[in-house]
Amino acid sequence: MDLVLQLLFTGIGIGAVYALVALGFVLIFRATNVVNFAQGEFSMVAAYIMVVCAVDLALPYWLSFIIALAGMAVVGLVFNLGVYYPLRHRTYLPVIIATIGASILMANGVLALYGPQPQVLPGWFETPGIQLGPVYLDSQYLLIIAVTVVLVIFNYWFFEHTMLGKKLQATSQDKEMASLLGISVSTMIMITFIYSAVLGGLAGLLVAPLLFVSIQMGSTIALKAFAATIIGGFGDVAGAIIGGLALGIIETFGAAYISVPYKDGFAFLVLVLFLVFRPQGIFGERVAEKA
Amino acid sequence: MTLTRRGFTAGVAAGLAAPYIIGSARAQSGGTIKIGMCAPITGPAAEAGKYATGGAKLAVEAINKAGGVLGKQLELIIEDDQITNPGIVLAFSKLAAQPDIVGFLGSIRSTQVHAMAPDVMKLGKPVMFGGTDPNLTKLGNPWLFRFRPNDSYSGRVIADYGVKTLGKKKWAVLHSTDAFGTAGGKALTEALGKLDATIAIDQGYANQSQDFTPVVLAIKQSGADILGSYFTFENDLGIFARQLRQLGVNIPWVGSPSIVNVTALKLAGPALYGTYGVADYAEESTPGAKAFGKAYREAYKVAPDNQSSWPFDAVNVLALAIKNAGSTDPQKIREAIVAIKKYPGAEGEYNFDKNGDGLHGYNIVKNDKGNIVFDKHIEFDD
Repeated sequence: MDLVLQLLFTGIGIGAVYALVALGFVLIFRATNVVNFAQGEFSMVAAYIMVVCAVDLALPYWLSFIIALAGMAVVGLVFNLGVYYPLRHRTYLPVIIATIGASILMANGVLALYGPQPQVLPGWFETPGIQLGPVYLDSQYLLIIAVTVVLVIFNYWFFEHTMLGKKLQATSQDKEMASLLGISVSTMIMITFIYSAVLGGLAGLLVAPLLFVSIQMGSTIALKAFAATIIGGFGDVAGAIIGGLALGIIETFGAAYISVPYKDGFAFLVLVLFLVFRPQGIFGERVAEKA
Repeated sequence: MTLTRRGFTAGVAAGLAAPYIIGSARAQSGGTIKIGMCAPITGPAAEAGKYATGGAKLAVEAINKAGGVLGKQLELIIEDDQITNPGIVLAFSKLAAQPDIVGFLGSIRSTQVHAMAPDVMKLGKPVMFGGTDPNLTKLGNPWLFRFRPNDSYSGRVIADYGVKTLGKKKWAVLHSTDAFGTAGGKALTEALGKLDATIAIDQGYANQSQDFTPVVLAIKQSGADILGSYFTFENDLGIFARQLRQLGVNIPWVGSPSIVNVTALKLAGPALYGTYGVADYAEESTPGAKAFGKAYREAYKVAPDNQSSWPFDAVNVLALAIKNAGSTDPQKIREAIVAIKKYPGAEGEYNFDKNGDGLHGYNIVKNDKGNIVFDKHIEFDD
């Protein structure tokens, strides 16, 4: 039982990481019908900004955190203007390829600027964790889980109960109609990119103390987050969260009770099963292919 | 000064022609002896790649300062292998296409050496490498020469130290599932079998795992009183080490060389205090190792590790073999390498055997609050 609880905690913790990154995927997909393959690199870039501020420049942790997130807002804006905007009237394929290109550019840009050394980023808390009975709760995982819960609530409130959120929803559902109603579609899409970059950045800042800061930290998480998005139902916020958590728990228990080397295999096996039997995901609606 | 169109054209033409003119002038004065090197310049191991090329360059510079080899200067040509198998096959094919390259430095990763081995065989020129999978020198490929002790030795040294010196008999064996980790884990379990130790758990893991909780819990439940490990990447090692301590596992731990490399020490910090590692390069172990450590520190302002010591030795041994052979003929270089005995390198004393293995023992070092302290050298003569 102790073992199960410990595994469950870790599974939820790692799943929350996937969920945070998956959220960024979903928001951009809803707004633009495009998968942003640079979502993982947002996490990586934010973590490096954090390392520069908190470690190299020795600024206070909270200030570095704010600077990193503000930096990500700028990255999101530039990304929107440089990658999405010029291609917005094309089909989804050139945009997707442009996001792949942007992700390669970001990874190698950081490599060129900061060098290849993996970096250590201290966590939020002095205490690394607490022992609760038989279960060890890593403080950084606790923080990640808490932030995920808060974000779920925030997203629900933001998209369902604010005018800006409703405008964003309208844009994602039907751009032409939204524009007829006087909503500036390109502004809404720009806001989505900025928000997604900040979310991706937040995920990066939260996992960096656990997985270290390295050039490839984003891509490893993003692959799982992408799978989580498909399992949850592409385009569904709740689905992304559930998908992420499910993936984290499945791979942790799969590793513990079946096979450690095939840990990643379980995640992708679930993905394949979903693609075959329920391609629209847990929460997705069956829709005809978008033209 | 105004720039005319004619002046501009002449300038561009001169600029374009210059390298060729200089190049041909150099060729006429006898040219250089070229050594090709595959190293990770980009990708997850780019950090290690900097150490590797740093070690090789240090040797090249020292040799050139002392007058070069056969009256010629050495020239190192580096291609990026991205630490991947396709990467090294491509990098090696680019280098192999240059007919004036006489010898090569391959990878420290066994799986990459496996990937390039067929092309090495086809090319028929000597390739120095640092991968430690014992099978690599048993492929019947006469062109592969190893500059680190292979894992049949590291496994035996880990087992020997754990059982005889630390007195522990119930082992947890943890290894990556790549070529290096699988071979290492097998070598360790075999060596433990010969010492009558029991294996409480033999666990593989896939590289770039984000979480090791299931592994740590399995080790905890197995009741093992000592851990032996083969980690390929330092970030995996760092995550595992931290989770191991968090979940309260404090048994003695003897690891493969990655446990004492510079990056791992930085990432894992206190989680690795008190652990032991087998190290092919230990600065205090021999005068050759000390001299290399001093030179590397002076050149790059950081302490070297085994990523840089083996390429340093490889370039030196290759240069020595070319000198002894009096020729750059591949077959003669091969014979000259195999004939090298008692060469004092940075990694230890090289005595090449017919398979191409240069070293036959390992050092044991201890992580004393972040400082790597030389403990003992264990050498085998078979």
